[in-house]
Amino acid sequence: MRRLLGLALALAAVLAWPGPAPAADRIRVVATINDLRLLAEAVGGDLVEADTLARPAQNPDDLEVRPSHMAKLRRADLLVINGLDVDAWVEAIVVGANNPKVVPGAPGRVDLSLGIPVLEVPTVRVDRSMGDVHPAGNPHYYLDPGLTPQVTATLVDALARVAPQYRATFEARRQQFLDKVSAALAGWTRTLAPLKGAPVVVYHKEWAYLLARFDIRQVDTVEDRPGIPPSPGHLVQLIQRMRDEKIKVIIVSAWNDRRTAERVAADAGAKVLLLAHGAGALKGTDSYFDLFNYNVQQLADALTPR
Amino acid sequence: MRAILVPGLIVVFLLGSAPAFAEDVEALRREVEQLRKQLQSVTERLLAIEARPAPPPAAPAGGTAPAPPVATTPAPQAAPPVATAPAAPQAGPAVAPAPPPTPALASASQPPGGLTQATQPAAPAPSLGDYARPHQPFALAERRGPGQLLFDIGLSADLVATLTQRNVEKAQGGTFPGEENRFFPRSIELGLFGQIDPYARGVVRIEVGEEAENGEHDFKVDVPEAHLTLLTLPWNTQIKMGRMLNRFGMLNQIHEDDLPQTDRPNVLTRFLGPEGLIENGAELTWVAPLPFYLEALLGIFNGDNETAFGRASLRAPLATTRIRTFFEIDDANAIQLGVSAATGETTEKHRSTLVGADIKYKLVPEGWRHPLLTIAGEGLVSTRKVDVSGDLDRDGTRLRGGWYAYAEVQPWLRWAFGARYDWTQYPVNPGSEWAVEPYITFKPSEFLRFRLGYKHTERTNRVTGPDDRGSARLVDEIFFQASFILGAHPTDSF
Repeated sequence: MRRLLGLALALAAVLAWPGPAPAADRIRVVATINDLRLLAEAVGGDLVEADTLARPAQNPDDLEVRPSHMAKLRRADLLVINGLDVDAWVEAIVVGANNPKVVPGAPGRVDLSLGIPVLEVPTVRVDRSMGDVHPAGNPHYYLDPGLTPQVTATLVDALARVAPQYRATFEARRQQFLDKVSAALAGWTRTLAPLKGAPVVVYHKEWAYLLARFDIRQVDTVEDRPGIPPSPGHLVQLIQRMRDEKIKVIIVSAWNDRRTAERVAADAGAKVLLLAHGAGALKGTDSYFDLFNYNVQQLADALTPR
Repeated sequence: MRAILVPGLIVVFLLGSAPAFAEDVEALRREVEQLRKQLQSVTERLLAIEARPAPPPAAPAGGTAPAPPVATTPAPQAAPPVATAPAAPQAGPAVAPAPPPTPALASASQPPGGLTQATQPAAPAPSLGDYARPHQPFALAERRGPGQLLFDIGLSADLVATLTQRNVEKAQGGTFPGEENRFFPRSIELGLFGQIDPYARGVVRIEVGEEAENGEHDFKVDVPEAHLTLLTLPWNTQIKMGRMLNRFGMLNQIHEDDLPQTDRPNVLTRFLGPEGLIENGAELTWVAPLPFYLEALLGIFNGDNETAFGRASLRAPLATTRIRTFFEIDDANAIQLGVSAATGETTEKHRSTLVGADIKYKLVPEGWRHPLLTIAGEGLVSTRKVDVSGDLDRDGTRLRGGWYAYAEVQPWLRWAFGARYDWTQYPVNPGSEWAVEPYITFKPSEFLRFRLGYKHTERTNRVTGPDDRGSARLVDEIFFQASFILGAHPTDSF
């Protein structure tokens, strides 16, 4: 009996151990993707300690859940998710993290897609014969700097739920950040203004928001169905179309099948343009502004007629 | 006097206004009636429109596969929209990107977080008439949209074909006893899962599969999982209770259609039964507050599993424990380690204890969507007392064990090649067996998988079939497996 009691006490002591002390009581934010982490840091400043689940180079659409993700989420005060099904894998992490602050319905989680104008929302019933479609619409809105006001407003509300005493600070930082984004966006728009309406082909439809923002025309995709390797028949038609319409650029991200894209580009007399699908995905794209500086400059260089 | 005058005036006012009030009521009644008729008419028209077959999506140029038309949602016109209408029909899903506006950044264009700001098209709420009408499967799920309180539905099917020698079929000595040289639906599983309320999550899986008994092949319905998990307990703990696949070892909680090979490793089927350890009870988990992942688990169950335990009573419960940890060596290399133990009583009221250890390693090169290399293995030791005559271990104690290991290489997203080695003793009877199983997996998509495998098994003792028909010591089998998933997107786990 005494042995059992001792065991129970030891177990209770272990369970009650609060763990390592938090870094100066900062709000621990865990974002599903790196771009959202950067926004949380921009708004939260030194009041937050932010981390991300998907690494910058990973495809957020196709993440393998690992126990290390659960370890990160275990101590989070706020979980920031992208929503629109791109990071639906987070639910498995939430269940494994044993952290009641971030379970569905808890104040410590926020879906930043709320309130944004969603692109490419299917208007008919979708099924898997169409590939890995997102029934709620294109989820890659974080590639549109023009949506930053809405996204950061939602973020301020969420941070203020966790730490209401800092709401004014979050709002002030948000305004400072938006001023910078506004100035930068004006520059990016100027850079790409001469290329309005320029046609491009994309490998996967993750650039819809970026291209729409700068009025670059997405004419076709290398994948005929999202997430499924393209059929030879589709590639033949695509090459013909690119030749007919003089489309000179295929945009790819790091995880797309570069060989297929390069083969199509070679046959169509075009070139493959590697863009960063998120902050930190490529060298020199670590910050929020680096990401758009890089992508805008690459687009301008590739689309400017020579 | 004033006290009489004031109530009098009020009464006169009320009496005077009564006819007008009555008229107002009558007018309102007429208006409500008119609105009701309008609503009825609109409802009937809506039902008539819904009853019509949906027109097929327009075939894109060139005869490529049909794709869903998509529409961008209207954006608030804070600034002239940046129009990017596609000039020509597209081969992929038709996109009509009316792009987002260029909001004035200095002032947020929309209030935050409001559901009314969600610009996804709101699905109409199903009426009572909708529910009463016959539906095709998932028609209700199709209506899911903002504000709908529905859970996730997924269906998986796992079809297996086996080819083996005639004597193995007679002896029913193959990997799937009684199903030799047959194409059979091993598992068709309907999974329902979602939040019960803010505090708990629920999972129910109903499984139908073919089972062979006395030469007959029948479908058997089972509920391998029906449990809830309390998510908001203190001290980073959770309790899962109900019927579940126990978190014992690495593969026990993996469903048939999701196994890395067509069959469960021999050591697991020998010591835990063909379906693994499925028990009724509760598991408490705790995730340690450490920089790395460490999960501890304690479980109490009936002990219904007759292969390993079988006492089936909380008077002598089955107790389980598991500790699992995980290390990311770097961005590409990761390793998971686990130890498990389970102790309970057999139907003869003898103690039966299982102890296991497992390890899994994965190499996922930077930028890859899938692992290039997976190596995993699991070992199990069992000690139990048995009542048998001719006891070889004198006191009736059986100390037996086994292990398996596999390696899988996936050089391309759709293709994987691997092999598994098994060695195991029999839990009670004397003897052992080893097996080797190479296989190829092809996944046209995340939702469809084909696998072709070959398994060679050698046993120290012959297995004889019912009525002493046939015997099998050397077994060669070819497996073909087809698995598919409908509905909710699966989450890949390490």
